[in-house]
Amino acid sequence: MTSRQTAIPYLLILPSLVLAAAIIFWPVGSLIEIATNDVNRFGQLKGWNDFANFSALFANADFISALWRTGLWTVLVVGGALLVSVPVALILNEDFYGRDIARVILMLPWAVSLTMTAVVWRWSLNGESGMLNSALMGLGIISENVQWLASGDLAFAMQVLIGILVTVPFTTTIFLGGLSSIPQDLYEASALEGASRLQQFRHITLPLLKPFINIALVLNTIYVFNSFPIIWVTTQGGPANSTDILVTHLYKLGFRIGKLGEASAVSLIMLAILLVFTIIYVRLAMKEREA
Amino acid sequence: MSKLKRSIIAWALLSPLVVLSLFPFAVMFITAVKPQAEVLNPTWWPSEIRWQNFIDMWTVTNFGRALFNSLYTSLIATIGAILISIPAAYALSRFRFRGRGAFNQFLLISQMLSPIVLVVGLFRLIAALGLVDNVPTVGVIYMAFNIAFTVWMLQSYFATIPKDLEEAAWMEGASRGQTLIKVFLPLVTPAIAVTAIFTFINAWNEFVIALTLLRRQESYTLPIQVFSLVAGRYTVEWHHVMAATLVATIPVAILFAWLQRYLVRGLSLGAVK
Repeated sequence: MTSRQTAIPYLLILPSLVLAAAIIFWPVGSLIEIATNDVNRFGQLKGWNDFANFSALFANADFISALWRTGLWTVLVVGGALLVSVPVALILNEDFYGRDIARVILMLPWAVSLTMTAVVWRWSLNGESGMLNSALMGLGIISENVQWLASGDLAFAMQVLIGILVTVPFTTTIFLGGLSSIPQDLYEASALEGASRLQQFRHITLPLLKPFINIALVLNTIYVFNSFPIIWVTTQGGPANSTDILVTHLYKLGFRIGKLGEASAVSLIMLAILLVFTIIYVRLAMKEREA
Repeated sequence: MSKLKRSIIAWALLSPLVVLSLFPFAVMFITAVKPQAEVLNPTWWPSEIRWQNFIDMWTVTNFGRALFNSLYTSLIATIGAILISIPAAYALSRFRFRGRGAFNQFLLISQMLSPIVLVVGLFRLIAALGLVDNVPTVGVIYMAFNIAFTVWMLQSYFATIPKDLEEAAWMEGASRGQTLIKVFLPLVTPAIAVTAIFTFINAWNEFVIALTLLRRQESYTLPIQVFSLVAGRYTVEWHHVMAATLVATIPVAILFAWLQRYLVRGLSLGAVK
């Protein structure tokens, strides 16, 4: 091979490499710089500060509670979506009338942008005249208006439910892909030997679905951990920061209060956590490829 | 079990999720067509259907301008990302070269770094370049954030095209470039179209970058325009907001629901290859 030919693949990947590096990796360097310096609200650096931005964060009760809430948010949304999606995928894998329509309907929450979904839910959950209150009253389930977004706990519970609803379609799609890869003769053979449907589920379906469950778990964890619009649009982390997660806390620090150093420190902490998730994902993906 | 019985049980089990999935669309539509006076009255059905709301919404919410900005940024992102990703995906699926694995890991990490985590650094970069509030700049940023996704999607399709056809063309004396344009690209056009549509939808739906970098109302994209009608306002004209949401959402939702089964390949295969 001539040297001109060996250069070809590098020339082909060069544009994508340059663009991604400039717009995605340059800011990472910038974040490291801001996080380790004293910085004013206009972004001017005032010198190395011995990780004062990080110690300020850990001394801040709002950051600590946002950190815990992010863990809770991620576990509840990812876990809830998993618990809903396994049975939904099993049902959609059966042959029944109207299955194609059911699939399209259940994919709809994924098809709408999170921002628009959150705007619609903000209106639906409006305490005075929201459509959820009028629907529930019309059905006779409640007798007076519920203030869905006025208290932190109830608002957060609603946000988790919205999060689960928009995560189910992607998760279900992955599981459907997994189910279609299970050979049908396994079920026929086990039925001949007298296995019940529950036994088939536990000993055939679940073990063979496990790699897909793992991949869905890690990918969803990354998406949900980073998810900003649902909480920002419905409550902006309020009332009184009681629904803040790391991303909304970071946005407030950076663009409301102007503490750019601390905001960058939050970003770096999140990057470290995300790196761990990504390494887990690569391990799982490699394992599946070998299997 | 008969198919009919099975169908009844399946629909009964799915019904709570079906209702929850359709509920936001019902809310959007019903609110959008209500007369203004009935919007803040807690009733479910409107007394009459006011299509006029959509026409009023168009001017009141500055919809046309936001629609233009959304189309502008999304088209820049889509065309740019596809043009840059085709050669990269071709290199990954047709060449064995040193650093191939490293390039894949580079893409994986760039996929992991979401805009919200980088937003402070990104704002500093754009401010230093004097490009805050510049609509095409937002399109270029979307382009960069979509590259990992487009390269993976395209590569997973390119890998399924047998090499024989290209090799046959080389035997007949065609150059590598001619083969690429005359033989390879026509075969992968459907894959490129699907990938382009998903990139377009990603850009169309993006929130954080637009929220941070677009400052004046004239440069808002649709999600930011709709959000600005709701956030920090004492009175919200919900029938206009819902009409705007509905018009901005429906075309993209239909495209997406139609094409979503192609999407999972790109999302889940990326790291494996």
